[in-house]
Amino acid sequence: MRCISRLEIRIIFKQIVKRLLVELAEIPMRPKIGGMLNSTFLMIKLNCETRTMNKIQPTEYNRKRNRTIKSLFTLCLMMLLMFPLTGQNYYASLFGIKSDGKTLNTTSIQKAIDYIHEQGGGTLEFYVGRYLTGTIELKSNVTLHLHEGAVLLGSTNIYDYNIESKYTALVYAKNASNITIQGKGVIDGQGREVAYHLIDQIHKGIIKDQLKYDRPARRRPSAIYFRECDDVAVKGILVKNAAFWVQIYDQCDGLLVDSTMVDSKAFWNNDGMDIVDCKNVRITNNYVDASDDAICFKSHGPDHIGENVLVRNNVVRSSANGIKFGTVTRGGYRNFNIVNNTVYDTYRSAIAFTAPDGGFIEDIWVDSLYAYNTGNPIYLRNGERWGDKGPGSIDNITIQNVYAEVAAEKPDTAYEYEGPIEDLPRNISPSGIVGLVGTPITNVSLKNIKIIYPGGSNPNYAFRGTEPEDLDSIPEMADAYPEFSQFKELPAWGFYIRHAEDVSFENVELIAKEADYRPAMVVQDSKNISLKKVDFKEPGKKKKELHTYQSENVKRRP
Amino acid sequence: MHILRFLKTGSLVLSMALSLWATDYDVQKFGVKGDGVTVNTASIQYAIDYISDHGGGRLVFTAGTYRTGSIYLKSGVILHLERAATLMSTTNPFDFVKDEDINWMSMIFAKYQKDIGITGEGGIDGRGFETANNMLNYIQRGLFDDKLLWDRPREPNRPQNIYFRECENITITGITIKDPASWNQTYDQCVNILVDGITVDSKSYWNNDGIDIVDCDGVVIKNSYFDAADDVICFKSHDPDKICQNIVVDNCVGRSSANGLKFGTVSRGGFRNVKVTNLTIFDTYRSAITFAAVDGGIVENIVVDGVRSINTGNVIYLRIGDRWSKGKEPVMKDITIRNVYAEVPLGKPDAGYGYEGPIEDLPRNISPSSIVGLPNHRIENVTLENIEIVYPGGSDPFYAKVGLTPEELDNIPEMPAKYPEFSQFKELPAWGFYLRHADGITFKNVTLRAKNKDYRPAIVMDDVKGALFKDMEIEEPESEQNSKEQIFQYQSENIRID
Amino acid sequence: MMIRIFIFTIVLCFNWGLSVQGKDYKASLFGIKSDGITLNTGSIQTAIDFISQEGGGRLVFYVGRYLTGSIELKSNVTIHLEEGAVLVGVPSIYDYYSAGNFRSLLYSKDQANISVTGKGVIMGNGRSLIKSRNEQKKNGYLPSNSKDGLPGLVQFVNCDSVVLTGIILTESGGDVVSVHGSNHVNIAGLTIKNKGYSARGMTLSGNRHIALTNSYFETDGIELEFLSKNQDLRIDDTKNEFGEILKRP
Repeated sequence: MRCISRLEIRIIFKQIVKRLLVELAEIPMRPKIGGMLNSTFLMIKLNCETRTMNKIQPTEYNRKRNRTIKSLFTLCLMMLLMFPLTGQNYYASLFGIKSDGKTLNTTSIQKAIDYIHEQGGGTLEFYVGRYLTGTIELKSNVTLHLHEGAVLLGSTNIYDYNIESKYTALVYAKNASNITIQGKGVIDGQGREVAYHLIDQIHKGIIKDQLKYDRPARRRPSAIYFRECDDVAVKGILVKNAAFWVQIYDQCDGLLVDSTMVDSKAFWNNDGMDIVDCKNVRITNNYVDASDDAICFKSHGPDHIGENVLVRNNVVRSSANGIKFGTVTRGGYRNFNIVNNTVYDTYRSAIAFTAPDGGFIEDIWVDSLYAYNTGNPIYLRNGERWGDKGPGSIDNITIQNVYAEVAAEKPDTAYEYEGPIEDLPRNISPSGIVGLVGTPITNVSLKNIKIIYPGGSNPNYAFRGTEPEDLDSIPEMADAYPEFSQFKELPAWGFYIRHAEDVSFENVELIAKEADYRPAMVVQDSKNISLKKVDFKEPGKKKKELHTYQSENVKRRP
Repeated sequence: MHILRFLKTGSLVLSMALSLWATDYDVQKFGVKGDGVTVNTASIQYAIDYISDHGGGRLVFTAGTYRTGSIYLKSGVILHLERAATLMSTTNPFDFVKDEDINWMSMIFAKYQKDIGITGEGGIDGRGFETANNMLNYIQRGLFDDKLLWDRPREPNRPQNIYFRECENITITGITIKDPASWNQTYDQCVNILVDGITVDSKSYWNNDGIDIVDCDGVVIKNSYFDAADDVICFKSHDPDKICQNIVVDNCVGRSSANGLKFGTVSRGGFRNVKVTNLTIFDTYRSAITFAAVDGGIVENIVVDGVRSINTGNVIYLRIGDRWSKGKEPVMKDITIRNVYAEVPLGKPDAGYGYEGPIEDLPRNISPSSIVGLPNHRIENVTLENIEIVYPGGSDPFYAKVGLTPEELDNIPEMPAKYPEFSQFKELPAWGFYLRHADGITFKNVTLRAKNKDYRPAIVMDDVKGALFKDMEIEEPESEQNSKEQIFQYQSENIRID
Repeated sequence: MMIRIFIFTIVLCFNWGLSVQGKDYKASLFGIKSDGITLNTGSIQTAIDFISQEGGGRLVFYVGRYLTGSIELKSNVTIHLEEGAVLVGVPSIYDYYSAGNFRSLLYSKDQANISVTGKGVIMGNGRSLIKSRNEQKKNGYLPSNSKDGLPGLVQFVNCDSVVLTGIILTESGGDVVSVHGSNHVNIAGLTIKNKGYSARGMTLSGNRHIALTNSYFETDGIELEFLSKNQDLRIDDTKNEFGEILKRP
């Protein structure tokens, strides 16, 4: 074992304490807690002392042992290091950074970060004020602390950003480790103004862009873009008004986003946060109000996947989806716990699983999801957008303890950048589990679920019956962008299931507030569908609420 | 006498009109929103039309920010902006009209109306920086035709805050007028204007004049404060058949990155019967007081009484030119300037203000006050009385030098067609006053003080016919020991120095 | 009859060809904002005037909500609403003007070759406008005669070669679509969803060569009304919310 410096010890210690505190605060709800321990295990391997451990197979026994070892180790460290543990703190003013909201501080802030980084790490402290800046690059062992009232304010000039990089953002980092943004302050990207300036430069021909959908396809800055970083923490802050996805964490290992707020309806594609191919992630206690998907997992690299992720105690609002897997899903996702989250005023699905690019979604555990005034509750969909990648797959999804109210009117009315009105004509869409011919969605368990739909569809406006020719006419759309509304009118008001196998419903209640011309559930070309204690409630005269077509082994038990 | 008569009738008319404007209308009752976001152009216009059609009254804006594009004020309507109410531009140039008759863009227009006004303690905010830059973007995208002068949209293609044309009985009181994209407020061929107690704060874009009075008859501007990037109180004459006359400016304070009180530049018809009292000009880049007759117009019967000019680049500049005269004979005569105290700085007086005045006409040392006619169009009958001007002195002849030899003095160009500005000749041979082609000049009790030694004399006269210097006091370090001749004459006659 | 329809179709095709021949202009070129809160009246009108002066073309709106007051359509200009694009009426009654007897969000008078196409939506904000109108009437600033009634969505008066296809029209306080005294009018694939308002779906009067096809009406007021005779009127495959086929008078 090589000698470790005092600084390294400090950092290690800080990390461990941080992890311990976080873990203590979160008692895993899932009975099979492998994912949680596994993530702990993977994190501790970052530290040089435990390097030998990662060769041990993570059996249940070893995991427990590791944990014990870690705790003991931590205890020892705590006894040993009774001195101030964080790196040094630096006032922003030390570097000539100005809080007047007018001085462009890009170079001063960058100098500060570089300096602190070279000194071995520490915290750059921003106190109350408005700090105008362009792109800054965060470096290893540096913490940006935005105290209450401090605003890191994005320049409205597009040329102040790293637009030639693939990772255009106000705060950017690549290949850094142990980086943190914390405090009760604000990052405000001024995204609308930045986007307008970019559009202006495009119209004048200075910047080349096709303006697809009349928006710049590239160069719109995010607020935060961390790529290939380890040990990242973003805590407490409010992130506002980006020109693109608000936060991107891409191929990071060890990510904590805790107690932050996102308020971003500044421009198109304002995803609240995009977690791309990250491992060992905790998204906890956040509030997100975003014009595009609120919490979004993506997989851009065919050789990368997202895994070991905890999403817990978040409240989100979106003019797209609340919690979403995809759209781009090249590699896949494994071992996610999505626990105790609330979605409201959301235009599309409260939770959406989309795998249209050859990647997989598997071992996902959703527990305690509450959705109010949402356009759609649950949507699972694989596809085959890019032929050479083959179809995507969805397997082993558990969704339980869900309460959802589906909106009769547009749920995101009067939010800025409302979701687009499209796929018309259609009546209120059902939840969907829609696989592909030859690649069904498999092993989905839905338990303890109550969904209230408005019902009241009008067959003269849009109609899809349950006759074979009606059902056969529903297009496959394997290569289309997956969205709950993509098929326009569907033949059920509650659940539409097609190309799925081994789906179980247990203790599920679907309620239509007004009579609907469609049955509650249509099962088409599926196998082994079990319905236990499933209740359909709809006013008006009794009708057949479960319709099966070309399916095997659909069993309904009281 | 003229002025007195005008004042009587003017105030009578105004007070009569005021008593008629009894009815108040709450603008919010017309669905206008003061939320700072809603664009209210159509609703405000409807309200104005409605009030005008129903016998007139005040359209009252309570506290709030009211966004709007171009609106037209109609007869009998007063826009009353209460404290903390702001009428604010949308910043979108396409929300503004370029009026066909006026050929300019503006937020508040009025044409051929009477008994109109804007009152109250609220404000008008043109958001000119944004509006002008948005316009520039559209021009560069090819959507709006403008050749761009000095890389800016031309002045008429940027909205002013207020443009009234051929209106009668105008009241502008109390309000704060901010940041237009072009000039602030223009009253063009109007009759009977009262501007009282307004504040102009305007350094948002090029050509932010404070107030422009064009060819108007009967104007009172008083108790007002101006801080503007371009000329602050500016009288113009655009029409050779019209004249700007019967004007009182009293108790005003101005700051400018151009001139303080200015007559011209466009001076086709001319200016007469003007009385300016109790004027303070500070931190001003060019002249505190300047009169230009360069387009064939007249300037006559002017009294300026009581001026404090602190930290201004130049104090007095009188100039006849021959720019766009089209055969007309420019005239400048019967001008009295008295009770003036002025300090001219060594450094740039407007340093640090937004849109600072341009650094130009270099090399030159500190320029003197000047009265410069043309050989065939002479400035006549100018009286300067009870005047004290403090100059920095300390000119550097190695940097710029014009000496007193005939060749050097003759070499000073006439520049009849050039834009008239105190610095236009670059270096001049005097540090206090330079007089050329002028007749009947009286200096009475004038003190000129240079803080440092200057290589130039205090006063140089070139082609002056008839001048009287009485009770002159000239101070310059070391000048007495060297018995420096401070008043220099060249090709001049009938000069008396008492 | 067949020949006439044939000629009519040819004329339509010809006109259609003309109207799409021009250049495409993206809305953002004119600073038109898709955020749903910027009032775009001035910018959209400038865009239409500009495109008309340049010889015509399409003003293309992509996904987004475009707040606007009344817009006057000019010759040779097509308003194209892509799927997801919504023209939203501003909720203030005074922002609406008229070409004929009443106010309308889009209006056109004495113009030729004008189209409104695409899969987008025109949304009238009628509920807010009723409130605005009633308030103004109550305050006494708006006279209660019909001229100052609620604005409709699309109005053509004395126009030649009009195409109105594909779009969805909704939440209109006034008559949703009205076409008067126009020549060669093709209305196809419209969806009018206007429940909750007493306004009429469509009024047609004094037109010549007019076709209404493949459209859907869902209104509380009269769906389709003919105020005066239309020459050469064809209605095909058009129904209401109850599935009833709408027919010529």
